[in-house]
Amino acid sequence: MDAIFQLLQNSGAPMPEWLALALAILLPIVIVMGLFLTVFAFLTWVERKALGRIQNRRGPNRVGPVGLFQPVADGLKLLIKEDIVPGAADRVVHFLAPVLVVVPAFLVLTVVPVAKGFVPVDLNIGVLFALAVSTASVLAVFMAGWASRNKFSLLGAMRGVAQVVSYEVPMVLAAVVVLMAAGTLSSIGIVEAQRGWCGWFVCKPWGLVAFVIFQTCAMAEVARTPFDLPEAESEIVAGYHTEYSGFKFALFQMGEYVAAITMGGVTVTLFLGGYLGPGCDLPRIGWLVSAGWFFAKLGLVVVINIWARGTWPRVRVDQLLAFAWKVLLPLSLINIPAMALWYFLPNRLIGWIASAALLAVALVGLTRLNAGRAFEKRSYRFIS
Amino acid sequence: MNIAFYILAAVTLLGAALAVSLRNLVHCLLALVLFFVGVAGHFFLLRADFLGAVQILIYIGAVAVLILFAIMLTRNVSGTEGGGNSLGGAWWFGAGITAALAALATAAVRRSSLAATLSSPVTEQGIVKTMGRLLVTDWVVPLEIMAVLLTAALIGAVVVALEEDRKS
Repeated sequence: MDAIFQLLQNSGAPMPEWLALALAILLPIVIVMGLFLTVFAFLTWVERKALGRIQNRRGPNRVGPVGLFQPVADGLKLLIKEDIVPGAADRVVHFLAPVLVVVPAFLVLTVVPVAKGFVPVDLNIGVLFALAVSTASVLAVFMAGWASRNKFSLLGAMRGVAQVVSYEVPMVLAAVVVLMAAGTLSSIGIVEAQRGWCGWFVCKPWGLVAFVIFQTCAMAEVARTPFDLPEAESEIVAGYHTEYSGFKFALFQMGEYVAAITMGGVTVTLFLGGYLGPGCDLPRIGWLVSAGWFFAKLGLVVVINIWARGTWPRVRVDQLLAFAWKVLLPLSLINIPAMALWYFLPNRLIGWIASAALLAVALVGLTRLNAGRAFEKRSYRFIS
Repeated sequence: MNIAFYILAAVTLLGAALAVSLRNLVHCLLALVLFFVGVAGHFFLLRADFLGAVQILIYIGAVAVLILFAIMLTRNVSGTEGGGNSLGGAWWFGAGITAALAALATAAVRRSSLAATLSSPVTEQGIVKTMGRLLVTDWVVPLEIMAVLLTAALIGAVVVALEEDRKS
């Protein structure tokens, strides 16, 4: 933002200061919103195509070449659909929830470095900001479920709240090792700390474990399919957005997808080297190459998300919570001393082996401890 | 800067006022969240990014959700039954306490040496690093005591929950 302001001031174009300031503020917002909304629209198409492939059908193929304009048709359809609000609903809260669900998803984008030297706001505590803001969507989910005055909605909302609260803990702890390695909370600082051959944090034993934990928790936090209990259609109709139609429903979908993309962006920044890649430092076209690398990695993470959605069944509520508290949380805690071992042992190779060994022992131990217990048969207390 | 401050202040005060005056408990909670957002905005405005992010993470992500669970366990959420505010006409009593507390806090802040020590410009990175270092050196005993307290509370909660389980 400041860089754009400087550039506009020094360009010599006759321009009052307030105009330059307004442009410097608006330009990154427009670029980021436009870019990610386009990505969102075509992600829905990619997802439906990929899921179709996995399920041995064709997916959307009517609108435009290979169904490429399907998102446009969907958007138009949802825009002109009747908006129905239940009679008993809390009108104000019911209206505010879909608006608020989109806000945190976009706010996370402010600290994700999309290309070399391009991050909308370079906060010194960027990663903390991203983690903090992304959890705020839970309130919108609750508002939607509660305001609908529908039992299924409320059930879905409470599931969503419990899920996000549980998965937030291992997610933050998984990010801690990255902050330890980089020694900074700034998202650009973290990306720059991953330079060099095999410098990406995912190439280290602790980094790999943290990457898997973080990615799992990110999927749980945006409620995508192995963890889509808040909107499990076989149990509670559509969960917290049962009573939403038309464009409000579209906003919920958008919130979910944009959150998935932005969490993918955070994952790429933390573990996959962000915009780094061969050619990202070239003098003139470096920004373009680095943006290409960022979006290629983001695409990879998103495709992994879709793949998981297409291949895994939905977990049960008790399995979901047991997995977070009995497997992910201890593992992410042990990951921190493993990272310290790697960091403080004099020889990198010894540190690498020691940290990998500690993590392997922890993983085997946790599996043994949880064997037959984390996923035991559920007993229902309130059914006689 | 000034305009942003006034807008944020208005939002914060509005949230606080609504949080204590609305009838429906869930509406009160949402107003309280608005207040938290306003406070976080003030922190960001003062370039205390760390405090702002922590405010969002802890107050909106954790405290509000905790209150939410508490509300879900209470009856009469909508505030339609029963005889209203238990303070009755004694609202001025609460107002007096609030005013006294505000006066005390203002006096304490003005007296303390904090303003003098914090006036030197430090970068935010410096604040995070300095704070982290102080927490594990000078303030390690309070930190550990707090950790033990929280752990005790956690174990206590588990024990209470288990007790109910055994009875059923």
